[in-house]
Amino acid sequence: MSVYATGFRAALRNRRLAAVLWLSLLGSALVAAGPIKALFKVFDEGAFRDALVKGWDGWAFVSFVVTQDRGIAIALASVGAALVVFALLTIFLTGGVLRALIAGRPRPVFRLVVAESAGLFKANLWATVRFVLTAGIWTGILVALPVLGIHKLFKDAAPHTFWPNLAFWWRYGVGAIVLLNVGLRYDLARVALARGEAVNARGAYRVAKRRLRGSRTSAILLAVVWIAIGLAVQAAFTSWGLRWNPQTNASTFGLFVFRQFGFFVLAMARVGFWASLLAWEDTRRPSPSRYGV
Amino acid sequence: MKHFAWAAAATLALALPAAALEAPRKIVDYDIRVSLDPETKLVEGSETLKWTNPGGGPVGELRFHLYWNAFRNDRSTFFKESGGRLRSDKADTGKGWGYTDVTSMKWNGAELMKGSRFESPDDGNPDDRTVLVVPLPRPVAPGETATLEITWKAKVPKVYARAGYVRDFFFFGQWFPQIGVFEPAGRRRQTDAAWNCHQYHANSEFYADWGDWRVAITLPGKFVVGSAGALVSEKKDGGKKTLTFEQKAVHNFAFTADPRYVVVEDVFDAAKDVPKDELARAAKALGRSEAELLAGFRKVAIKLYRQPEHGGFDRRQIEAQKWALAWTGLWAFPYPYAQISIIDTPEDGTGATGMEYETIYTTLSPKWMARWPFDRLYVPEMVTIHEFTHGYWMGLLASNEFEESWMDEGINTFTEFVMVDRKYGAFMTFPPGIGFTDEQSNRVSALTQDHDPILSKAWKYATEGSYGRNSYPQPGTTIQQIRNLLGEEKFWRAFRGYAERWRFDHPTSEDFFDFMRASGDPLVADLIRKTWYGRGWVDFTILTAETNRDDGFTGFDDATKAVNFDPDPKKKEKRKDDKGKDDKGTWRSLVTIARDGDLEMPAKVVLTFKDKSTITRTWDGASEWVKYRVTSSSPLVKAEVDPERRTVLDRNPWNNARYTKKYDGPSAAAKGRTYALHLVEILLSTLWGVL
Repeated sequence: MSVYATGFRAALRNRRLAAVLWLSLLGSALVAAGPIKALFKVFDEGAFRDALVKGWDGWAFVSFVVTQDRGIAIALASVGAALVVFALLTIFLTGGVLRALIAGRPRPVFRLVVAESAGLFKANLWATVRFVLTAGIWTGILVALPVLGIHKLFKDAAPHTFWPNLAFWWRYGVGAIVLLNVGLRYDLARVALARGEAVNARGAYRVAKRRLRGSRTSAILLAVVWIAIGLAVQAAFTSWGLRWNPQTNASTFGLFVFRQFGFFVLAMARVGFWASLLAWEDTRRPSPSRYGV
Repeated sequence: MKHFAWAAAATLALALPAAALEAPRKIVDYDIRVSLDPETKLVEGSETLKWTNPGGGPVGELRFHLYWNAFRNDRSTFFKESGGRLRSDKADTGKGWGYTDVTSMKWNGAELMKGSRFESPDDGNPDDRTVLVVPLPRPVAPGETATLEITWKAKVPKVYARAGYVRDFFFFGQWFPQIGVFEPAGRRRQTDAAWNCHQYHANSEFYADWGDWRVAITLPGKFVVGSAGALVSEKKDGGKKTLTFEQKAVHNFAFTADPRYVVVEDVFDAAKDVPKDELARAAKALGRSEAELLAGFRKVAIKLYRQPEHGGFDRRQIEAQKWALAWTGLWAFPYPYAQISIIDTPEDGTGATGMEYETIYTTLSPKWMARWPFDRLYVPEMVTIHEFTHGYWMGLLASNEFEESWMDEGINTFTEFVMVDRKYGAFMTFPPGIGFTDEQSNRVSALTQDHDPILSKAWKYATEGSYGRNSYPQPGTTIQQIRNLLGEEKFWRAFRGYAERWRFDHPTSEDFFDFMRASGDPLVADLIRKTWYGRGWVDFTILTAETNRDDGFTGFDDATKAVNFDPDPKKKEKRKDDKGKDDKGTWRSLVTIARDGDLEMPAKVVLTFKDKSTITRTWDGASEWVKYRVTSSSPLVKAEVDPERRTVLDRNPWNNARYTKKYDGPSAAAKGRTYALHLVEILLSTLWGVL
């Protein structure tokens, strides 16, 4: 079975695991729910209620942004807080998700994920710090410096000619390759921690380096495929959600449920990615697999 | 005596036109020779200037604008006001400085520069070198023409503010020693004759006399040159060429040079390019026949000088230009010149972008805006329309931008959004379909607090933001308010009347107001007084909207008989709770509406009842609040003031309606927060791609 088929199969089989991830997303987003509720209260009190129920009144939105600036600032701050909470939860839960997949137990899963996550959290946190630092350093060396160099050496080049175009595509093309590489090593380090092949982030990164040696292209392809799947899921549900345009309270509730289903599918894709990566990593391991999905 | 009589007649003719002019009064005649070295960015120029004293008395000294001295150092008034920054562009304080030095100025063979000095009439800045005062050996008599021979040297500044260079791109605006305006008494309602020659400011640069230009430009042969004039000759000499351009009846002359320009040409032909529905609309509103409106149009050669990578905008820019020529021709007067040049600035020369000069202007075409989904943003079209139409409100109606910047930018903003919205509808559209018009994007200014009246000298507003607000969107929106008060026919007849009367002349704010006030509407006069000369504002609010069942007479009647209630204290009182009951019966409703701010505005008030019936009232807005008591057979669910949003100056439109407890329709807030929560989840879930 290919690593992709393994991933799809695991995504469908480990729905409870996906539910844990989805709940972490919804729970984190709810950190911003209070300020958002307060911000949108005016929608029901003012002149644009009927227009907003029917559709999207441009003047309502423009004037809303200007007159509700304080409420918007508070809501944005709460979104920032939600982002921090979700980042920590994601780092926390990844260890447990990997352990659950390695154990091959689709249920019961919640207690297992939390318990295993707690055990791996410290090492995963250090792995994250290392990821952020290495991403910064490599992006600086391989992306920022060459781009700055091109701009400095060819500052008199007209826009959209060879050198400015090269700088533009270098920024995004090489930037993406660098981030994919650094990200994969981070992911494989966490796999090594989950498998117990390393006791700390440093050792885990060493194991990850060995796994990637000579197999970088297939690993990058795997990551790109799952990113594309995630983007497709997100784009499809977002597009359907926007077209929904509910005009009754029941329809609004329906939209909420539908979108949560979309985020649940996205969480399934994340489970699928991890299962695929584990299967891929299995093929590069010297010892027989302990992974049974 | 004979000489005096001629001068007096000339003075009267030049100073006090009683009616619209068919052509401008020619005060200046420039014959300029200029050579550009693109490597060193140095310019050598000479000009023969014929200047005619327009009257008002003998003139003993001349005043000149040397505007590139604004970029001479960090002590210039322009640099101090702008902080070396304009819009998002920043001065290159390394090698980017520029200057203009007059090396000689002769009149009848006498050198005038020896006694010359710099003055700073606006702010007294001793370091500013943008106004040169040249004493004369003898005064120039009224009506007399002085012929001056001037030579100068200049260095082109690195572009960040209007004029300058980047690589091989050059834009020459305000680039030659240009004489100021000697205003006779009566011109622009001045009581005394005097020079009007302002320094170069961060926010203003236009006011000059009308005349003719002949400009010969020498530069390397590889350059493509676009200018305010028509090309009359081209001579090649080795690797260089000299291009000569001429333009009559303008008050400025700008040009551009870039070897990379691709020139796209088209012709505006009213027979094809004036939309039929717009012609019909204009004929109806203005009370003129379609044939009469079309009669003044002429063919106009359109030249788009664009960057090679911006080919995706050719059709868009030309269409926008044609629409602007058609619209202004119908609602103001037809464009009188034979050509118009559109300059597409390079993306690293945005300091020169969005600048207006007569018969030539700069626009923008960023490549990313040609691609989906950004191709739905009509910003390039908006800039093209805006900058072209400056050619009317600063150009053909040559107002003084220094002293009344709103007359250029504000009227222009108004005509811009009328044109953009008529042609493109939603000016910007964002998912899931939130589109807003150009008029709405400008109306935002009315929602914010202000610190200045609209009318102020451009460099004297409290802040840069206050200048922007009171020069662009606020006057634009206030003119829209006048339009709403007067109605289409009265407004557009007054508007076209103003444009036709002041074409080729120098109008003031009061000249515009005279046309708007001519209808006799006291609200318009009050609005002008309170907004242009004050900080007037208005905000309608529904203070209360209550509805209660009327159970009939309740209490003791005159015979002390209990009616509709049981006076026995031992018996439990019946609860008067509307919930659960049907809505039949009689209902009494009370609505209180307030008008905050000092602008009196009439407004429609609409009361909507649960059975979907409505009552509409018109409130004159004269008092600070009004109450409406209504008895109805259905409960009131909504009270709204100005539902059609005719009061575009309303500072907070959100408080214009209120719902009663009897409203049981769907919740917009639930919808809004559901989408907002999803947006947050989308944002958070992107972390799954990284962590």
